[in-house]
Amino acid sequence: MFNKPSNKLTLVDMAALGLIIAAISFFLTKMGSVLAYEWNWSAIPRYFIFQDADTGQWLPNILVKGFITTIKLSIWSTILAFFLGTISGIMGARGDGFQRFVSRTYVEVVRNIPSLVLLIIFYYFVSSQFLDALGIDSWLRNQPSSVQNVFSRFLAEPGQINAFVSAVAALGLYEGAYISEIVRGGIQGLPRGQWEAAFSIGLSGPKTFRLVILPQAFRQVAFPLAGQFISTIKDSAIVSVISIQELTFQGMELMAATFLTFEIWITVTLLYFILTFSLSRVIAFLEKRSSPRA
Amino acid sequence: MKKILVLLICLMLGVSTAFAGQTGKALSQESIIEKIQKQGVLRVGMSTFVPWAMKDKQGNLIGFEIDVAKKLAEDMGVKVEFVPTAWSGIIPALLTGKFDVIIGGMGITPERNLKVNFTMPYEFSGMSMVAHKKKAAGFSSVEDFNKKGVSIAVRMGTTAEMAAKKFMPKAEFKLFENESQALQELNLGRVHAVVSSAPMPAFHALKFPDKLFVPIKENFTKEPIGFALRKGDYDALNYFNNWILINHASGFLKEKQTYWFETKEWESLVQ
Repeated sequence: MFNKPSNKLTLVDMAALGLIIAAISFFLTKMGSVLAYEWNWSAIPRYFIFQDADTGQWLPNILVKGFITTIKLSIWSTILAFFLGTISGIMGARGDGFQRFVSRTYVEVVRNIPSLVLLIIFYYFVSSQFLDALGIDSWLRNQPSSVQNVFSRFLAEPGQINAFVSAVAALGLYEGAYISEIVRGGIQGLPRGQWEAAFSIGLSGPKTFRLVILPQAFRQVAFPLAGQFISTIKDSAIVSVISIQELTFQGMELMAATFLTFEIWITVTLLYFILTFSLSRVIAFLEKRSSPRA
Repeated sequence: MKKILVLLICLMLGVSTAFAGQTGKALSQESIIEKIQKQGVLRVGMSTFVPWAMKDKQGNLIGFEIDVAKKLAEDMGVKVEFVPTAWSGIIPALLTGKFDVIIGGMGITPERNLKVNFTMPYEFSGMSMVAHKKKAAGFSSVEDFNKKGVSIAVRMGTTAEMAAKKFMPKAEFKLFENESQALQELNLGRVHAVVSSAPMPAFHALKFPDKLFVPIKENFTKEPIGFALRKGDYDALNYFNNWILINHASGFLKEKQTYWFETKEWESLVQ
């Protein structure tokens, strides 16, 4: 019906591009002269990896450690968010009055308070009550070092575990509310005909939901869910306020020690961008492949 | 429906605050000294403050406080674990049991003392100032800075903030979460000066001699620095006080103080 827009650059496009480039370079040179900043990029690489003076081994330094913590944090909170969000989403779409009420309350409460506030409530109240009472950290400290190593690799070190778990819980709870809405939308967005068709071949209500509706709903929402994972990576930066040693926190610690403010912020920004952008390209690629050929 | 919702939220908040009160009590019933011995680890709350505590090139913590806390743990026969914490939230974190003690260059003040117990001072610090050469040209006393239109950057929640507001009430203040942000603001010439614990301002002025200077040679306050711990734990207070007494007498604290605050030998470790 519509003509596909051509990919050729027109004169107007080129003028616009030229203007944008001019504006950016003007901004950069202007900024350079205002800042009069002494750049010291040579100091940065060693905060990624450094060579141990005694053994000659190359070891990861704090930026790499922070980057890995960010990834661990995002994966665990997404798993938690996925469970919470799926349950709440199904309750919101298919549940009885009370279940819908619970789901709505969860979604509305979480979506209407800033993530930072939720996180701080979790860290100071919930974590001090439940996690300290559970005593995960003292349990972990008494374990042999092999167990501790496994925990450090997949979760966090003993000294960090309580804070890490409360950060995962808070982030998971926060992202879960958004996933809940995505799942609910996916279920409710399926045409009524699917239900009617399933009933007409004699499937019961629950069976229809489990075998017909849910698989289709998940196919519908798979890519929005993947997008939510990318949001989680970005949102995870806020847990730096509760001393989780993820990328932003490590960057700020490094800045406080070295005063290389801009170099470190730019490096941290690039690291986040590389991670989220490459993920979003992967998702876009999968989405293209899985969509029916036009 | 709406009423139930409001009720639910109130209930949740009520329960969590009530619980918070309870842990506060539970934490103070057993002395942390016993808990530290039992778990074999001393958890120390701190925040990055050059040269009190900072990360070196290998990502390890170094600094005056770090040496003090390491020696304390060694004398107790336990491992030390540092919990880097945002300065503005460090007292709440202590009160909710995220660590056992704050060894973080914390100045003893009456306000803070209402919430936590302090040991006797193990170190004295003072506030000093570094100013921008062009913006604060000719400024040489506290009075010069105590004017309308003069802006001063400080780290939020520190005694530097309190001292600056007390000595220069007419100036405008910009508060930052970290020292490096305050100094960045100064380097950009957006504020006249940064107030912070000695010796950092002097060191920073040395680093950028063509941009910055130290307007007032002496520190304008003298502040006692102590360990902070939760209230009600007199066993721990006694232990820490005596540890400080012994290490004053043995010269350990003096030696570390000289190394970190009077020399710059450590600078190559950081950058």
